[in-house]
Amino acid sequence: MNDSNLVEVADLSFSRSGRQIFSGVNLSIPRGKITAIMGPSGTGKTTLLKLMGGQLTPDAGTVHIAERNVHRLSRPELFRMRRRMGMLFQSGALFSDLSVFENVAFPLRVHTDLPESMIRDLTLIKLQAVGLRGANHLMPSELSGGMTRRVALARAIALDPDLIMYDEPFVGQDPISMGVLVKLIRQLNQAFDMTAVVVSHDIKETLTIADYVYVISDGRVMAKGTPDELATEQDPRVSQFVHGEPDGPVPFHYPTHTSFRNDMLKGSDTGKRGRS
Amino acid sequence: MMHQLSRLGGVTLKTLESLGRSVIFLVMGLRLPVRGGLKLLLAQIHFIGVLSLPIVVVSGTFIGMVLALQGYVVLVGFSAEEALGQMVAMSLLRELAPVVTALLFAGRAGSALTAEIGLMKATEQLTSMEMIGVDPLKRVIAPRLWAGFISLPVLTVFFSVVGILGGYLVGVDWLGVYSGSFWSTMQSSVMFTDDILNGMLKSVVFALVVTWIAVFQGYDLEPTSEGISRATTRTVVYGSLAVLGLDFILTALMFGDI
Repeated sequence: MNDSNLVEVADLSFSRSGRQIFSGVNLSIPRGKITAIMGPSGTGKTTLLKLMGGQLTPDAGTVHIAERNVHRLSRPELFRMRRRMGMLFQSGALFSDLSVFENVAFPLRVHTDLPESMIRDLTLIKLQAVGLRGANHLMPSELSGGMTRRVALARAIALDPDLIMYDEPFVGQDPISMGVLVKLIRQLNQAFDMTAVVVSHDIKETLTIADYVYVISDGRVMAKGTPDELATEQDPRVSQFVHGEPDGPVPFHYPTHTSFRNDMLKGSDTGKRGRS
Repeated sequence: MMHQLSRLGGVTLKTLESLGRSVIFLVMGLRLPVRGGLKLLLAQIHFIGVLSLPIVVVSGTFIGMVLALQGYVVLVGFSAEEALGQMVAMSLLRELAPVVTALLFAGRAGSALTAEIGLMKATEQLTSMEMIGVDPLKRVIAPRLWAGFISLPVLTVFFSVVGILGGYLVGVDWLGVYSGSFWSTMQSSVMFTDDILNGMLKSVVFALVVTWIAVFQGYDLEPTSEGISRATTRTVVYGSLAVLGLDFILTALMFGDI
């Protein structure tokens, strides 16, 4: 194992509801760098983050963080390790019964014995970093989508983690919020030397901040390299994704056994699964 | 035939799996966090117990009043209306207070617990708590379980007290039963162990079962709006049926050898 890598994923296989999500994925996340994991929707990018965070267990393969096998840790050890990790959820996942200030102060309150005055100062510093110190008294229901994401980011960095994982940070953001988030991710990485994993399918924004990129499709790593290397990649599947072409080797349609014509002629017995 | 058999097997396995999960959940969910556990518990006792007081007090008063009215109609035929106090107190302490309070608790606090935890799960709040390194079983589940275990028996006591006062209001103030005999028949017939303790024991059992069902349904639900709606319904239905079924078993064990 290479010491310069904070995360090492080896031969990872995972399936859910009979569907193979990953088969033999290998990737390394170097310390202090921003690594992007990209791929079309539904390829299991968020699942990969959950496997890294120990929320899901792989069928085969290993995930090592700081040279410790995440899935061999006991429950208390796993929770201790997570204090050194931050995760920004796609929905923000703020605690709806706590104010913005209390949300950001939450990790400090539960994991440290700091006096109240210091918790206050640290919380305000984190909120200042994401530009929302003035919103500290608001409740999560009063925030816009972009603000929610930034408060969640402040909470994720409250304990100055070694590793921060961003799950689709740019989805549903207006251009200004998107610009702010891109800037924040870059600044956090440079100022605090935080290792970052960005899972995204927003190509333009991700390629501007990533040091290294993995493209995942069909349950395996399809391409890897620096953003410049990917831009000139000859593989038609990578090229289709990077240049945003609607159809190509990566199909637009979800796989099905019947043709569209047959489905149309069959009548009304499709799509019955659901409410029981 | 084979299809039905395999379906039956599938349902049985799923039920057993769910039961197993719920037992592990209960064992893991009983550990309160060391830091701030008391504060979290008190907040939940306020939400689950104190805020359930109005519905319990109002229901208890009306049930006591109806009991006295119906009891009086029957007892007066035997010139035994002095025994009204005994009848009201016995009915409330042994049966009505534990059972009706538990049913009200399942409807008011149980459904709220399921919906709250379910929504926390659907909006990834529980997952984000795990990723912050905080065990939601300790921080979210344990305070709610313990608050339910503590609140329901206390609410049952309130129900009994206001029920007896409601019975007094109708029996003595309205129907004219002699106040002294209302209290003295009650005092001479109600036994602390047989009636009060057995009633409280029932209430403790109901508290365990109803809270366990409510919290587990919230934690184990499918994180969609439909899943939350189904789980909330299940909490009220399973909770109420469990209370009524267990009440029969407990009554048979406590009073069946007469």
